[in-house]
Amino acid sequence: MLFSRVIAVALCLLLAIAMPNPPAQAQDGPDPIVVKDPHYGEVLFYFYQEDYFPAIVRLLAAREQDQLEQHAQESELLLGGLYLSYGHHLEAADIFARLLADNVAPDIRDRTWFFLAKIWHQRGYLSESQLALDKLSDDLPDNLRREARMLQAQVFIDTGQYDRAIALLQAWDDRTEWASYAEFNLGVALVRSGRVDAATAILDNLGNLDPNNEELTSLRDKANLALGYALLQDGQPGAAKSPLQRVRLEGPFSNKALLGVGWADAENNNYQRALVPWMELRGRDLLDSAVQESMLAIPYALAKLDSIGQAADHYLNAIEAFYEETNRIDRTIGYIESGDIFDEFLADNPLDSAGWFWQLEELPDGPEARYLYHLLATHEFQEGLKNYRDLSYLYRNLDDWQQRIAVYANMLETRREAYTLRLPVVQDALARADLDGMVDRKLELDSLLNDIENGDDWLALATDHEFELWGEITGLESTPALAADIPEAAEVRDKIRLLKGVLQWQLEHEFKDRLWRIRRNLRQTGEALVETQRSRRQIDDTMREEPERFADFSARVYGLGPRIDGTKFHVADAMAEQRAFLQSIAVGELQAQKQRLDVYTVQARFALAAIYDLAATTVGEASP
Amino acid sequence: MTRNFIRFAASTILAFATASVAQDTAPTDTDTSMAATSNAIAAEAESRDRFVSLDKNVQDLKKEVLDLNRDLFLLEEELLFPANSQVAFFISMDVGEYFELDSINLKIDGKEVANYLYTEREVGALLRGGVHRVHMANLKTGEHELIAVFTGKGPHTRDYRRGATMAFDKGIGAKYVELEITDRVKKQQPEFVIKEWE
Repeated sequence: MLFSRVIAVALCLLLAIAMPNPPAQAQDGPDPIVVKDPHYGEVLFYFYQEDYFPAIVRLLAAREQDQLEQHAQESELLLGGLYLSYGHHLEAADIFARLLADNVAPDIRDRTWFFLAKIWHQRGYLSESQLALDKLSDDLPDNLRREARMLQAQVFIDTGQYDRAIALLQAWDDRTEWASYAEFNLGVALVRSGRVDAATAILDNLGNLDPNNEELTSLRDKANLALGYALLQDGQPGAAKSPLQRVRLEGPFSNKALLGVGWADAENNNYQRALVPWMELRGRDLLDSAVQESMLAIPYALAKLDSIGQAADHYLNAIEAFYEETNRIDRTIGYIESGDIFDEFLADNPLDSAGWFWQLEELPDGPEARYLYHLLATHEFQEGLKNYRDLSYLYRNLDDWQQRIAVYANMLETRREAYTLRLPVVQDALARADLDGMVDRKLELDSLLNDIENGDDWLALATDHEFELWGEITGLESTPALAADIPEAAEVRDKIRLLKGVLQWQLEHEFKDRLWRIRRNLRQTGEALVETQRSRRQIDDTMREEPERFADFSARVYGLGPRIDGTKFHVADAMAEQRAFLQSIAVGELQAQKQRLDVYTVQARFALAAIYDLAATTVGEASP
Repeated sequence: MTRNFIRFAASTILAFATASVAQDTAPTDTDTSMAATSNAIAAEAESRDRFVSLDKNVQDLKKEVLDLNRDLFLLEEELLFPANSQVAFFISMDVGEYFELDSINLKIDGKEVANYLYTEREVGALLRGGVHRVHMANLKTGEHELIAVFTGKGPHTRDYRRGATMAFDKGIGAKYVELEITDRVKKQQPEFVIKEWE
């Protein structure tokens, strides 16, 4: 059935783009759609190029003009897909809720609701995500069913329904890699619900996982790190070392693990050993809180080992490093608060209408970038940036229309003036043109021609010259001298008869041809008259309708202008709000880093003061 | 000496990082106490609510701007190409085994009206069933002649240039003309067909 196929094409295309592991059906590539309305094909032309905004506009316009009659239902579903691709998810869901119930195969329907649930969860629409998950039946392929189940658990956790999440995750029964994620999320739910002890048992299990890919390795690292710190907190430094040492040395959690290993040794008073991982941290990125803390941990250990001078040097270095880092953070906060970062971000990213699937990979170059990279990993920041980018596209679109609508207003005025100037001239010409009289004359000519034909009046079709000749000949015939009974007169009479005969023969001979030619000309004249009458009617219609058309266009042009202005104003407002939101996330992060550095600086100063005090006391006691 | 980092313990590493294949969130430093964890969860929810509120506003604006664009698009078309004189020329492709489109040149009544160079992305969209409106014109009622010249790579990736001509009658009301590139399998050659839409 064509309809089902088209729906499948539309949805598979979307799902193929949207899902990290598209199902085989989507990867194979569906057959091209049979286009029955060119305007529908035009929408597809933009859709296939992932230019969703112009595709939606064309579809809405074509639908308004009833140009999609052959694709009425598919176009509605395609619109849903386009909305979804463009990130207009609430509108898309309305369409799907209306259309998906009866018209598509259950697996496609389930995939669509799953996709929506995922988007909504990602965007923080938790109740909507739950509603979409509730619509799923059992028609998802296995891999997506597992992902949907995991998504359900995440929604439970995010909405504080920890017991439901725990029950769901504890019942996880497959042996795929999803089981590890389920176990990890079970740990999350247990911790959030206050059952930390139960969570540590789960972590131990995960920490000994034999991973077969980067994501699972990262998950194992995270579990080992969490377990190591839980044991440290519980006063079991010896037991903490083993999970912490299982964390990779070069992974995203290695800094924290190295710091933890050091603390485990320090807790056992083995400061010499503790210095080994902490010294390794010294050369790493100071942005990491573990590296920052190692700068205090090293002198702490050195002091414990009675290397007071070295400890003092390290504290001084730490204070200096924290000071410089704080200054850099301040500059970054200033840069973010100035809004320049957003202008540079927009300048570096062309504002096409790709919308939903776009993701920022690179930040604008500059010393500030290093502070912001980790923000890119967060959904809120990424989704916020997407919205900011979308709003910028809308703003530029409206800006462009604002200029064009001014041109159209001008164009309309010029046309109105030209019309007003030409109207009297046209009206005068029309008044002079007696079309009805022409039609009457044509009809008279038709009638006359009929009489000529019926009367076989060949003389009536003679040319002026022939008619003149005929007059001369008949005039000569009646010359009295020719009546004389003399041979000369008889000769002339014969000649005249001959001439008359020749002329008559010629006229009779050409009569039909001439009649046909005249009839043809007359028919053409008639056609021209009909065309003229039609043009006249058009002109009359135009003269009658044109003022209405001008009024209609004027109302639209002058109505749309303020709409553009108003919407542009709202978009600018929304951009400012979005920018403030992103600024608050970024600045909040940086302020937290700064506060941590402030705390470390205070601790370093106190420790340094204590060392100086100790040194002064020792010197005082040693002196006689 | 305070061990700041030990306070960054299991509960918080886990509390803010649900895991899935597609996403992974780094742990966040906070106090270990459950009260602090609860506060952080509340702050997370507050931030999410703020995002959703902003996002709903963005959704509303998208709808408003799309509707506005529809109205503007229609106004522009009606103003520039009134239905009585409007003629639209579309390009489409079927299969495309024997021809790789580079550009198209259109002449109406001997006058060049369009010269369009296609990108790879556009050709891809045509091959998948998209139809490109390459030109819009205002024409008087009556007979007109269209000459379309297609340039690209033909069989065996040789440079290929072919023309197609069609006389068409423009009546009252909008007219749509489609230039279709198809494959003639028997001859292993592309075929260029011009047709009028009903």
